Amino acid sequence: MTQILDLADIQATVLRNRPMPYCGAYVFLRIDDPEHARTLLYRLIPKITTSADWQKPIDHAWINIVLTYAGLARLGLSQQILDGFPMEFRVSMAARKEFLGDIGESDPSRWDYPFGSQDLHAALVVMARDQDSLEAKLAIGREAMVGLPGVTVIGQLDVALPANFREHFGFVDGISRPFIEGQGGSPLPGQGEPLKAGEFFLGYVNELGELARGPGPQTLWTNATYLSLRKLHQNVAQFRRFLRQRAKTPRDEELIAAKMVGRWRSGCPLALSPDRDDPEIGKDPMRNNAFAYYDDDPKGLKTPAGSHIRRVNPRDALQDTIVNSRIHRVFRRGSTYGPMLPEGILEDDGVARGNVIAFVNANPARQFEFVQSQWVNDGDFISAGHDKDPIVGNHAEDSQYTFPARPVRQRLDGLPSFVVTRGGQHVFLPGIGGLRWLAEGCR
Amino acid sequence: MATKVIESERTAMAQKVTRHPDGPGLRIGKRGELTGIGKVTPDGARIFRERLPQFQAEAAYWENRIGTVQSFRLFLFDNDTRILFSIVYDGDFKPYVEDLMNDVSPWMDQIFGGVWEGYTNFKDPALMDLIRNAQVTAEFFYAAYPEVSCRDVQKMKRLSAAVSEMLDAAS
Repeated sequence: MTQILDLADIQATVLRNRPMPYCGAYVFLRIDDPEHARTLLYRLIPKITTSADWQKPIDHAWINIVLTYAGLARLGLSQQILDGFPMEFRVSMAARKEFLGDIGESDPSRWDYPFGSQDLHAALVVMARDQDSLEAKLAIGREAMVGLPGVTVIGQLDVALPANFREHFGFVDGISRPFIEGQGGSPLPGQGEPLKAGEFFLGYVNELGELARGPGPQTLWTNATYLSLRKLHQNVAQFRRFLRQRAKTPRDEELIAAKMVGRWRSGCPLALSPDRDDPEIGKDPMRNNAFAYYDDDPKGLKTPAGSHIRRVNPRDALQDTIVNSRIHRVFRRGSTYGPMLPEGILEDDGVARGNVIAFVNANPARQFEFVQSQWVNDGDFISAGHDKDPIVGNHAEDSQYTFPARPVRQRLDGLPSFVVTRGGQHVFLPGIGGLRWLAEGCR
Repeated sequence: MATKVIESERTAMAQKVTRHPDGPGLRIGKRGELTGIGKVTPDGARIFRERLPQFQAEAAYWENRIGTVQSFRLFLFDNDTRILFSIVYDGDFKPYVEDLMNDVSPWMDQIFGGVWEGYTNFKDPALMDLIRNAQVTAEFFYAAYPEVSCRDVQKMKRLSAAVSEMLDAAS
């Protein structure tokens, strides 16, 4: 049976393609008065952008709203319903620090406000193709809060995807994503069999053949999902120095960087061009994701098993194990914050810069948290002991990366943490019906 | 009240035993233990013994797929009225529950179905509750090489064989 998604009820964040390039903002809110929060929702609902026109958007901008567990509690949700939310969502991401590897420099006590605090109750998620349309959407948020002192803006995090589509380490970002049953169109080469909608939205059947459900009335959770938000600081100068120190030539620098990520900086996958960058492949959506590992590269001679892209999405590589990779997929929405470090600079300028990622998942435990704990911050699933993701892993304790090569494998010792967690929060992204139910006093 | 440990050369190698960060049981390094006790159904012991040889014969196949179990033991005791399972494994258990349910349920159902009271099948969403209720945390736990997983051992065996082969070729 063909899967039909209720696009007019799903907030835009999940399905809508972000305009490329784009700018955006997360506006963080604290709720002190439930009545004011309900009024805010009531005013915002008609303005919330849905996924309905995601293929042919009227304006290239959107405004969405997300709520934390504490925010739902402030809105007056009954304890019985609150208790029905997944444990990972209820306890907040900071409380999961040990499991998620947010230790040492990444410890929640060092996170940027309001992450890890008691104050983060809701956030407006605003994305637009230019600064003017972004301002227009932010104005909608501001207007909706007029006369509501019980809802306070406690921070704003500006994000963007620069015109060259590159994140701070210099890699083209956002190439690979899952294809969801019912999203329309056909999968691009390499996206594989469409994933069941219940992996990404509540109210639909998931890959286990079960209806993905939430707590309380069906209205609250149908077409809702969770975003697992991560604010990740990138030590760009340190990354550049590391490559410079470990490589013999500039070409070698690029090879080491590519072996750590699994793609050249252009986005061209090692799987399709293992020895040199081919930016034409990187640019071509029909080719830049068209690969698998099990038959083509079981030993990781092209794309190392421990490289970033093969860890976070092992594709078909784990089919001889009990792990069913299809139940551990996330839909990743990444954007950068902070200015780019100019080319060639090898000294840290002390400026905050990094990536804000929203991982869309209907089940944070077996999706985002599984990927982070089992694949990013551990190596056992690929017989790599304690080794972690060389790019985004926490290297506070262990610090080596080994990749196969001819005639002998190469090992990079003394790996620093190139990425440091500066914030994390699981948030709930209700459907329009769910927002209305909350606005009407949970009735 | 816990007695204070008297430091000496015999305590210098003490292993750090913690609660599992995301699941039941104790943990040392990468090694975790999961022990549980359940009731046996009235006809359970007979069924158990009838199926045991097949279950035993298939163990290596299934455990090889799982790849993280160091040891697994089952006991019937108290005149066959109770069953005890004791597993020592690498890494985390809870994150893999859905994968285990998906993959090894035929094997698990073979030994626990109709034997362990309350057990319906390994894919039952209530399974975690059944395990949680049966689970008893070990009072004492020691693990040799807690940092070396089953997969590490397999890799070391391959490496050792390759080195031997190279030395043979050179001699």
